[in-house]
Amino acid sequence: MKMEDMPLSGPDNTKLEALVHDIYSELVEDACLGLCFEVHRAVKQGYFFLDETDQESMKEFEIVDQPGVDIFGQVYNQWKNKECECPNCKRLIAASRFAPHLEKCLGMGRNSSRIASRRLASNNNTSKSESDQEDNDDLNDNDWSYGAEKKGEHLKFTTCNSPRRSKSLKHKNGESISYNTGISYETLGPDEVRSLLTTQCGVISEHTKKMCTRSQRCPQHTDEQRRAVRVFLLGPSAPLLPSADTAVDNDSFDIPDGQTLLSRLQWEDSPDISPTDSASSKTFGRLIGLLLSGTNHSDSRRPKKKKRTSLCLNSGGVSAPSISSIYDDLN
Amino acid sequence: MSKESRMRATINQKLTEMGERERLKELLRSKLTECGWKDQMKAHCKEVIKEKGLEHVTVEDLVVEITPKGRALVPDSVKKELLHRIRAFLAQHAT
Repeated sequence: MKMEDMPLSGPDNTKLEALVHDIYSELVEDACLGLCFEVHRAVKQGYFFLDETDQESMKEFEIVDQPGVDIFGQVYNQWKNKECECPNCKRLIAASRFAPHLEKCLGMGRNSSRIASRRLASNNNTSKSESDQEDNDDLNDNDWSYGAEKKGEHLKFTTCNSPRRSKSLKHKNGESISYNTGISYETLGPDEVRSLLTTQCGVISEHTKKMCTRSQRCPQHTDEQRRAVRVFLLGPSAPLLPSADTAVDNDSFDIPDGQTLLSRLQWEDSPDISPTDSASSKTFGRLIGLLLSGTNHSDSRRPKKKKRTSLCLNSGGVSAPSISSIYDDLN
Repeated sequence: MSKESRMRATINQKLTEMGERERLKELLRSKLTECGWKDQMKAHCKEVIKEKGLEHVTVEDLVVEITPKGRALVPDSVKKELLHRIRAFLAQHAT
């Protein structure tokens, strides 16, 4: 559209031109009047001066219009070229990379722990076993492999425990133990076993025949299993678990038999034979003890020997049919 | 003379009837806001109000102060565009 146009020519057209200007003036006046009404209403309603405050604040927040500076007066690329010294590693890092670097450097923050645990896991998998273990695939005593758990949250669990475990292992036994294995109870004396069992879970794994070196509260094994192992290794008058109920102290002579028997059953067979709840298993154990006190006395009284494992198996096997008969009777 | 006044009346009527007047008004208002004329005028209003006192300002006061200044402060580009539009309308609809 051409903005530059000539006024209408001709004698008539002067009048037209005058008309045009008149129309224009009318429009402009209309606009002015509109503004006046708007302002007057704002004044009378009290919202005209709302955007103003005292003189001091006005000066403070005045719009800045200088080159190299934004409207607040701040230099916007001031920190672009600055370098900061990391307090941890004493390196000079660019300002924009400083925060992520600090996260990794200090070992805090989500990603750094993930990366670290992943690195530890890959180190475990790739390094050969350091000790004189029989099987290489028995590197882990907790019935699951580290490789499979690489991507799961279990990784955090294992890495939390493994430094402590290797430390305690090296401290307690003179033997060289691989990084994350259990202990073979057969090679330990009773005192060592006792001291081990006061701090560690100690439940003997089925296929590796090693004691679990995790904490007393390790979720892999139940308290029943831990109690069974302690009784098994240290005799029926074994020192109790820290988490054991006081009711166990009041058990009579017969009851421990039933309990160990029950626990042995739990240990060897699938856990669905015995109830998992400790209270009900106690009563069940009492029942079993009362019924079977005659048959299995001699087995439990026998001293600790290597042959014991196989004997236990046999005794477990022998009593299993009788147990199942009791089940029938109960039903 | 009456011819002229008749013609004027006709034109004005046509402007209103066809909605061209409204369109022109809106166009002018938006153009003035865009170019900052409105803010300028508001600042001037503030001065007038501070002068006259907040409580006693009347519409007449404002009109008297604002209109002449407003007319003068309209930028040339806006003025030209509007004149062009009006001329075009007249050229189209004047007999």
